[in-house]
Amino acid sequence: MARIIIVDDEEHIRTLYTLELEEDGHEVLSLGTGKEIIRHIDEFNPDVVILDIKMMDVSGLDVLQEVRNKFYDMPVILCSAYGSYKCDLKSVAADYYVVKSSDLTELKKKIKAALAAKIPAKD
Amino acid sequence: MTDWILENPDNVTEADIVVGIPSRNEADTIAFPTQMASEGLTSYFKGMKAVIVNCDNLSTDGTKEAFFSATCEVPRIYVSTPEGVAGKGNNFRNLFQLVCDLKAKAVVVVDADLKSITPKWIKNLGEPLFNDYGYVTPIYLRHKYDGTITNNIAYPMSRCLYGRRVRQPIGGDFGFSGELARFYLEHETWDEAVAYFGIDIWMTTLAMYSRKQITQAFLGRPKIHRAKDPASSLGPMFKEVVGTLFNLQSKFESFWKEVKMSRPTAIFGFGLGETEMPPAVSVDVDALYHNLHNGYQDWKDLWREALAPETHSKLMEVMELAPEHFEFPSQLWAHVLFDMSVAYRDRITDTNTLMNSVSPLYFGRTLSFVRSTEGMAMQQAEEYIEEQCQTFEDAKPYLLERWG
Repeated sequence: MARIIIVDDEEHIRTLYTLELEEDGHEVLSLGTGKEIIRHIDEFNPDVVILDIKMMDVSGLDVLQEVRNKFYDMPVILCSAYGSYKCDLKSVAADYYVVKSSDLTELKKKIKAALAAKIPAKD
Repeated sequence: MTDWILENPDNVTEADIVVGIPSRNEADTIAFPTQMASEGLTSYFKGMKAVIVNCDNLSTDGTKEAFFSATCEVPRIYVSTPEGVAGKGNNFRNLFQLVCDLKAKAVVVVDADLKSITPKWIKNLGEPLFNDYGYVTPIYLRHKYDGTITNNIAYPMSRCLYGRRVRQPIGGDFGFSGELARFYLEHETWDEAVAYFGIDIWMTTLAMYSRKQITQAFLGRPKIHRAKDPASSLGPMFKEVVGTLFNLQSKFESFWKEVKMSRPTAIFGFGLGETEMPPAVSVDVDALYHNLHNGYQDWKDLWREALAPETHSKLMEVMELAPEHFEFPSQLWAHVLFDMSVAYRDRITDTNTLMNSVSPLYFGRTLSFVRSTEGMAMQQAEEYIEEQCQTFEDAKPYLLERWG
């Protein structure tokens, strides 16, 4: 099972995701802001990060650039209530883009895919 | 000893950053990218030793003179292949050698026919190389019908095989580290196709294979150069790009077989102001349709031999479609390319003949792409290309089965 960081400024979303993902056996760190994401990644050493885009204090797309620059191969899934951010070039740096839903089937599918997508070491 | 013609009037012996401008008879255009490179280097790489290198194919139209007479505050070097030796890749090979000799840390390459380059292109292609990245590819807005070899072959195939999403793997404008230049210089996969137009896909593939950190530089302005109607004659470029792709696929089998899904690549360089829309590219759809059907007459036997029976049967269905209903599905296109890569590995015929037989199929797929995206805005067409890439990734088990 995986270690997952969830970044979302809506508490009920964090609670829902945490409960469901823990039920599936994952270890979850839930954060209300992406401001100190680098420190949290360093400390928690996650296998995947799930990132909201439209947050009160910081843009998830900017957090994504920060994560990608520091942790080149860290799997990141953008999870937003809005599909329109998919058109933003900054979202290209994410592994996957999922539109928020109370049904977590799609998100869980993408978590599985992100975990399976490790680039192999060369010969 | 290197067999080149070298002019180094400023006696440059070492550099931190090199901007390379490959050319062949570009006297009319080379002054502008040279000037922009100079402005980029002086504005954004202050305090660094910089040099601009024109890597030429002994042009006869005065390219060298135009390069040296451009407005430029940075030292310049002219290097050329000897008489009788052409090829973009050969120009790059001279550049790799020069970069190693100058012990440069970073290299930026831009095309000599660029009309839309700005000094910030040099910044965005070069700066990541001083921040742990080894290879930088461009991201610029291109018209949906510009770059159809990229959209329908180079991007989906390289992403599916090597697992890294690099949107413009043969963009022509790149950044790479001095370390990677040495790796290129010494790599044993160099061949005749790489010495010509295979160079771009070869460099990108080797960067992915060697697991260098790759980023994509957002360049803000569209690439304005000599864009061509995708229905016009392909020339040697198609054969050299696709041939190199297939050749490396054979060489790097143990790597790509382990890649399950693709990973993203970061984008570097936002905040360039309002982005400009690229100029439209017109397409002769009738010519695409005829090129496919004329190709059938020439290559039907080879197609039957190279393609798996099921792929061939579906292709024959497509061949029967009238122009107004024409469609070449993404999954079939993926299977066709995968089958052709197996045929290349098995050497069922010589490379030139096999590539000639693939080109009509590419015209067919391009026609389908044009038809499917004609009512789409650029962003929608981009999503269509992403979906095609996902289809290639989903079809990879088919390739693994065929490859054996």
